[in-house]
Amino acid sequence: MSRRREVGFLAAIAVAASVAVAGCGTSESGGGGTIIRGTIDQPVSYDPAGAYDLPSYDGIYAMYQNVMTIPPGETNPVPEAAESCDYTDPKTYECTMKDGLKFSDGSTLDSKDVKFTFDRNVEIASPTGGSSLLANLKSTEAPDPKTVIFNLKAPDATLPFVLTTGSAAIVPDSYPADKLQSSEKVIGSGRYTLADYKSGEQTVMQKNDDYTGDDPAENDQVIVQYYDKSSELKLAVQQGDVDIAYRSLSPTDISDLEDQEGIEVVDGNGIEIRYLVFNLDLQPGTSDAQKLAIRKAVAYTIDRQDIADRVYNGTVEPLYSMVPQGLQFATEAFKDTYGESPDTDEAKSELQKAGVKTPVDLELWYTPSHYGPASADEYAEIKRQLDDSGLFSATLKSTEWNQYSTAAFTDKYPQYQLGWFPDYPDADDYTASFYSKDSFLNDHYSNPQMEKLLAQEKASTDDAERTKAFDQIQQIGADDVPTIPIWQGKQVAAVQDGVTGVEDTFDPSFIFRYWLITKD
Amino acid sequence: MGRQGTSLRAYILTRFALAVPTVVILLTLVFLLMRVAPGNPIQAALGGHVSPEEIERRSEAAGYDRPIIVQYGEYMGQVATFDFGTTLTDHRPVTDIIKENGSATVELSAAAFLVALVVGVSIGLVAGRYRDTGWDVGGRLFGIVVYAAPVFFTGFLAQLLFGDVLGVLPVSGRASPETTFAVGEQTAYTHLLLVDTLLHGDWPEFWDAFTHLILPAVTLGLLVSGVMIRLVRVNLLQTMRGDYVEAARARGVSERRVVIHHAFRNAMVPVVTVAGLQFAILLGGAVLTEETFNWPGIGSELVRYLNNRDYIAVQGIITVFALAVVVISLLIDLVNAFVDPRVRY
Repeated sequence: MSRRREVGFLAAIAVAASVAVAGCGTSESGGGGTIIRGTIDQPVSYDPAGAYDLPSYDGIYAMYQNVMTIPPGETNPVPEAAESCDYTDPKTYECTMKDGLKFSDGSTLDSKDVKFTFDRNVEIASPTGGSSLLANLKSTEAPDPKTVIFNLKAPDATLPFVLTTGSAAIVPDSYPADKLQSSEKVIGSGRYTLADYKSGEQTVMQKNDDYTGDDPAENDQVIVQYYDKSSELKLAVQQGDVDIAYRSLSPTDISDLEDQEGIEVVDGNGIEIRYLVFNLDLQPGTSDAQKLAIRKAVAYTIDRQDIADRVYNGTVEPLYSMVPQGLQFATEAFKDTYGESPDTDEAKSELQKAGVKTPVDLELWYTPSHYGPASADEYAEIKRQLDDSGLFSATLKSTEWNQYSTAAFTDKYPQYQLGWFPDYPDADDYTASFYSKDSFLNDHYSNPQMEKLLAQEKASTDDAERTKAFDQIQQIGADDVPTIPIWQGKQVAAVQDGVTGVEDTFDPSFIFRYWLITKD
Repeated sequence: MGRQGTSLRAYILTRFALAVPTVVILLTLVFLLMRVAPGNPIQAALGGHVSPEEIERRSEAAGYDRPIIVQYGEYMGQVATFDFGTTLTDHRPVTDIIKENGSATVELSAAAFLVALVVGVSIGLVAGRYRDTGWDVGGRLFGIVVYAAPVFFTGFLAQLLFGDVLGVLPVSGRASPETTFAVGEQTAYTHLLLVDTLLHGDWPEFWDAFTHLILPAVTLGLLVSGVMIRLVRVNLLQTMRGDYVEAARARGVSERRVVIHHAFRNAMVPVVTVAGLQFAILLGGAVLTEETFNWPGIGSELVRYLNNRDYIAVQGIITVFALAVVVISLLIDLVNAFVDPRVRY
């Protein structure tokens, strides 16, 4: 009797538990005007002076305004909080601010706030901020409420682009001048106001009904939900916990989701790139001629389309210049010089002409997670391509990012993987950063002709002049091969059926325009 | 009696005194390990994007170039005043992390502890009562399996089964995005989601939070229940061999009453001690569970800040963990010493 009662008691607990959990289901994504985006990218700061990362920029673009912005689908800056902007001379950029702009606390936005924004950004020089973008800014003046004057140290055609970045978003002069504003207390003039921010969990933004600019928000509320891993993000979109899963789903996650009912995978032009760097001091070769021949031979051998198809399932595109397609001034210099497909005969010929014995021992370094979980597969594929050519014997090595990011730039790795995410969508950010003798790459590459062209394109505001300069820069880059571009990533998102507008925001500016997104 | 009282006092004072160097040694180790590991927060965030000179400039501005002994002195001074500073990577006061994310870990740990107690004690009791029967073998096997299985594996299986295949439970997060926003800072009293929603009478939000808690709490609780099953069973068998149990049987007391009212109660005394320690371990061991279920606890924040080499955040979080474990084990030792006069130095 007692044993039967014990068993019955346990069974009753089990039944009750089953009934309880059967009564609940998975949560559905927000209804009405609420868009929920899931992401594994977490912001550093919603104070523009403390932000130099894409996740922070995503929120900043929604909650603040900039002097200049890049419209959807375009690549050139246009005034946003300004009525007009132009160079009055090569080192002076003058803007006239719009009337009637207000911050979310009701205060007026005028030129003194713009001056304050830039002065404090330079003053605070936050370790996590983008004050290095303002290295060429000598001073900012606000002679009257409508006029802002940017005085530069040297001519710089990229200033309008810098003004579009999240680090240059306009803040009110009620923000502290010498330290960062808390990310929980945002005062901006943008399309949204900050309703709540829980670090590591979510950001909630609500439509700013007092916004007076272009393209007001088409939804009422945005919730950005943070996940630690792409697998969790994938589960979340599958279960309907989020409307949009963007940054970052792995290629296999995307393939799975493409077959999922109720979910659509959308993509657009992206300008995030991956490339291979040669340290010219450490790479194999006993003379400059031999080293160049080896670099050219590698360029002839890498099959970018294979990498895009086999490793990334079509979520990236082959890249034939350090300047990605979609940006003004981009060419395909590597395709013109080395062909679209591998050419082992040409590679062999280059090595023979220089007297290089084959197979050439090549040590390839990569980092397994910082540039995405497929990095190991990507470099395994590159190794296979190089080894199969018979001209190389490649060895793969890897370290975690914290060690890698120091070692790569301090003469430890002869050939190594890198990625690049732009500060702004201009070809200068993809050329000066890599080809200058003072490049952060520290790869010991130096070409006086290149230096001259880089200075020329940076100083000129004339498109024809810049086109000519960039054509030559990219060709020299292909001829000298200090780096080999491999792929540029598409922007890819998984969205629930009925959610529209995500693909409209995918353009080279990398501004994720929440305000364009709607849901049936 | 006076001699015993003096001894207890000495024991208490000695335990308190030993707790201090324990914490100091642990914090020093954490400090040194973080400095020895390559990289710093700025390198982690901006390496590969700005020049080494720019990184060096920013690192100097953040004070990473100061002598180690200076940084150590500053760190220990801050700990002594419970000023844990502000994180370097996302400018967040460490006390906020402890308050908000710590409460999430406490909530998960408490729920897991409850699961562990219910499952561990009940199965241990049945296994001990029906020794050498199928119930005993099954109970012991269950205990070994749940203890040996890695928690992330168990969690993953649970997510697959209940979230993906059956679709009856949420598999990620502490609550749905809407509930997380609804129970915002304005309404948070305890930062324990279940308690706060109950206090507000927000039944849909309470149910949402409860269902999100089920899988991670059961996953973590089962792991700890493996220890409890074995402990309860062994102690029950031991107490059932006692003379007073035989005497009770001889007086005609029913077997059920013998087990529940005599043997079980005495068997639970050492279990309570171990259970207290298990709770302290749960706080730290929740990291893997939090990572698996995207639970915004202090453990998952620790992993994030470790990956970003955020010294301040890691030091602050480890300090809190260390203090929590030391305080709990101290309390347990003191209770033990009070109850059991044999426990002395």
